Amino acid sequence: MCTREGYHLSFFVPSDSYSVHIGDVVKNQTTRIFFIVAAVALSLVFLWPTYQDYSHRHKLSALRGADSAAYLEKNLESILSNKEKRIKLGLDLQGGMRVVLEVDLIQLVDDLAKNKDDNFKAIIADMRNTISESDASVIPILASKFQERGIQMRRYYYNIRDEDARIISELGSETEKAVDRAIEIVRNRVDQYRVSEPNIQKQGARRIIVELPGVKDEQEVRGLLQGTAKLEFRLLKDAQVSYKVMDAVDKFLSGKVEADTAVAGTKTAIKEQKPADALSELTGGKTQSASSDTSSEAKFLSEHPFFSFVRPDDRGNTGEGYVEDKNRDKVIKLLSRPDIQKLLPNDFEYLWSAKTITNADGKKFYTIYPVKRTPELTGGYVVDARASVDQEDNRPIVNMEMNSEGSREWARITGANINKRIAISLDNAVFSAPEVQNKITGGHSRITGMANANEARLLEIVLKAGALPAPLTIIEQRSVGASLGEDSIRSGLNASLYAFILTVLFMVIYYNSSGFVADFALLFNILFILGTLAGFRATLTLPGIAGIVLTIGMAVDANVLINERIREELQGGKTLRAAIDAGYSKAFSAIADSNITTFLTGVILYQFGTGPVQGFALTLMIGIAASMFSAIIITHLIFNMMTDRGLNPNFG
Amino acid sequence: MRLFKKTSIDFLGARKTWYIVSTVTILIGMVFLAVKGVRFGVDFQGGTELVVAFDKPVEAGDLRTALGKVGLSRSEIKSYGTEGSVLIRTNEQEEGTGVASRIRSGLQQGFPDRKFEVLKEDKIGPKIGKELRRDAIYAVLWSFVAIMAYIGIRFKFSYGLGAVIALIHDVFTTFGVLIILEGVIPGLNLEINQEVIAAFLTLIGVSVNDTVVIFDRIRENEKIYRSLSLGEIMNKSLNETLSRTVITSATIFLVLIVLLVFGGEVNRAFAFTMAFGIITGTYSSIYVASAFVHDAKLRIQARASKAVAASTTK
Repeated sequence: MCTREGYHLSFFVPSDSYSVHIGDVVKNQTTRIFFIVAAVALSLVFLWPTYQDYSHRHKLSALRGADSAAYLEKNLESILSNKEKRIKLGLDLQGGMRVVLEVDLIQLVDDLAKNKDDNFKAIIADMRNTISESDASVIPILASKFQERGIQMRRYYYNIRDEDARIISELGSETEKAVDRAIEIVRNRVDQYRVSEPNIQKQGARRIIVELPGVKDEQEVRGLLQGTAKLEFRLLKDAQVSYKVMDAVDKFLSGKVEADTAVAGTKTAIKEQKPADALSELTGGKTQSASSDTSSEAKFLSEHPFFSFVRPDDRGNTGEGYVEDKNRDKVIKLLSRPDIQKLLPNDFEYLWSAKTITNADGKKFYTIYPVKRTPELTGGYVVDARASVDQEDNRPIVNMEMNSEGSREWARITGANINKRIAISLDNAVFSAPEVQNKITGGHSRITGMANANEARLLEIVLKAGALPAPLTIIEQRSVGASLGEDSIRSGLNASLYAFILTVLFMVIYYNSSGFVADFALLFNILFILGTLAGFRATLTLPGIAGIVLTIGMAVDANVLINERIREELQGGKTLRAAIDAGYSKAFSAIADSNITTFLTGVILYQFGTGPVQGFALTLMIGIAASMFSAIIITHLIFNMMTDRGLNPNFG
Repeated sequence: MRLFKKTSIDFLGARKTWYIVSTVTILIGMVFLAVKGVRFGVDFQGGTELVVAFDKPVEAGDLRTALGKVGLSRSEIKSYGTEGSVLIRTNEQEEGTGVASRIRSGLQQGFPDRKFEVLKEDKIGPKIGKELRRDAIYAVLWSFVAIMAYIGIRFKFSYGLGAVIALIHDVFTTFGVLIILEGVIPGLNLEINQEVIAAFLTLIGVSVNDTVVIFDRIRENEKIYRSLSLGEIMNKSLNETLSRTVITSATIFLVLIVLLVFGGEVNRAFAFTMAFGIITGTYSSIYVASAFVHDAKLRIQARASKAVAASTTK
């Protein structure tokens, strides 16, 4: 019928969800075309940086030397912004490390306390047991441990007049701030280490997730992340004191204990001794060595067990000792035993050198330094550090600057200890122990003793970024090498390609030309998925690629539902156009309900999964949404356009 | 092309048989679970796992000796992917990455003249392992809840329940198959790790997909064919959707086989789990979900008519 208002033809269509007037049909078509074009354009815009980035890299790899430098300069801005906006590859595809660090708040709580006695140490040990099993908050558990034992917290914390509740809230906020500070410091260190696109996040109350793509030297990075960077300046003890201590330990181990070998200042009498226990730390339980011609060695071992492993520096008269690197762990264990510790005077301990020295025979030795337990100055006063090279001997050094308070202290300390030695240690490893030549007033000092320029640089980073408030432990680490990453990309792409080809073939064989239309829509599908990933700055992982492959299979489902429905309607006797519209409207509820439920599981998977699994959940969800869009809107549009022009699609 | 002419299979008629088949399959799986136990990957066990590629393949025995020298002789050693790659896993826990360093030094000392590259390194602390296990279980349970709620609202409560029972059936059967086949097929590593859990959740999502399509058709037919009994409507719906169900499942299955063969080592367990899951998913959508709803309805109707009979005889 034509009416005055314009062309107004109506077709009989049984379903009530689609408009029937031609004017309206065109309008609907136009709107739909508009949306589709908009979606395609948006996807292409989002994906453009990825393509650009790829072509830049391709070109760069073909250029050399001056040409490549020139290319970089010319295109720098575009290269940088493309790098930011391109599709990110997950760690499992590009290689790299993912580390979950936990802030050791128990250590912090331990450090904050004063007047620590055996009761306190027992509580701390108990805490470690409890916390190792759960992720619970530290401070409430600490409070409950104190309560269990009926001890007031103010004996160890803050002001003697404070109530427990106040202490608990103080400690609570202190630990929270410590975690935040730790994150900042880690971020700082990672920034200075120059990792491209690192990702650092807080997780829960005391965990930090650090993702470092493309990291090559894992040992270095681990050290960077975990070192507390506790910088300390400690005075060395008198050489004579050190030798007396070594002697006492030696005699203890060899069983010859006399009253006058006890060094002045040791507390308890040496009663219940079991030197055999301590001795076995060194010898591993073997009293006779297996080899034959070491009778003199064996004799020396039994008479002077300690000195067999620790050679005192009798020539230099420094009080230092030298330990061969293979014996280091044993001596460390020995010195940390409580029965040996009792032989050391108050305010005395041995610190190990960070590096080894090699003697004429090529053997490597660590040095142990006799130092005061309490440091004269700590790293909190250091405001700047710079790696550099000594003018005179070209060795790598690090120059440090202190703040005004630190400078004053440093001046006082150096002034009072001229000609004495001060050990500079980082995380309890001594880098050097130079002699104080004169009073230092400017707050400068320098650290020597690094092996190479790289070490100096790492030290600079760690000093500049600051000392961690509490130690960090690695509770989870996953790293993938770059070559495995490349393999994964290749297999992922292959799988996607084959899946796509198989699906395309199947649809065409089973559904003829309508299947071809569905395949065409599948292309849009993939474009939308990739575009959305790029648009959200999301990360593509290997399971994510699996998600895309799965989506290719599942996207077909909506089309199958629709096509089967259309076949039914055709069999029922409707015209082609009517059957198509009926098929779409009737199939819609099934498509919606089934896809929404699958989408829900994707959401749950995203919530509970980590890393690569989340990547999978993401592509799954995006894929479902994209396939609904392309199946319902794009294919319908194409079918309508085809029937309008008399090209009747064949539904097999 | 058509594979399915108009079918009229009496699906529900045979349901008693299929109840027995399902129960027996699940029981077999449980027996194997009791006997063989579950093999967890490093994600859930905690520990350290390294994938190492040597320039030329090494003997497992030599590897074990080398690892024994650093106190790790009880590690698991498996071949991984291509020639020469080995997977070494141990439950030992140490601060930070101590265990990995030990493995490295053990390998260096044990094979001093060989080059090797660490392709992949994972360390999972004991806490994390426990948390991942807990999260996996929560994820599965929550997905059941979400699905039961959504379907219960869109259809009826008994449908929601039926769908979830079908899903539970799928999860148990697939789990059983994983346990039975773990370690049986060389090169196919079926330990339970995060990707496998992801496969379970996805298969829940895809299986429910199937179920919902069938339910949707039942819902539609209930409105049209008011004179038929529920059983007849269900059979009709099942037959009408049969071609779609089989074709979709077949396509997804095919795609998963592609993933299994070409998708790389990481995706292998995932693809296998899902591929099997599709089979049981299709089966359960047809036989378990609808059958349950039907029998539940019969029960309710029987109780209702008993109540009516009881009140009318008063």
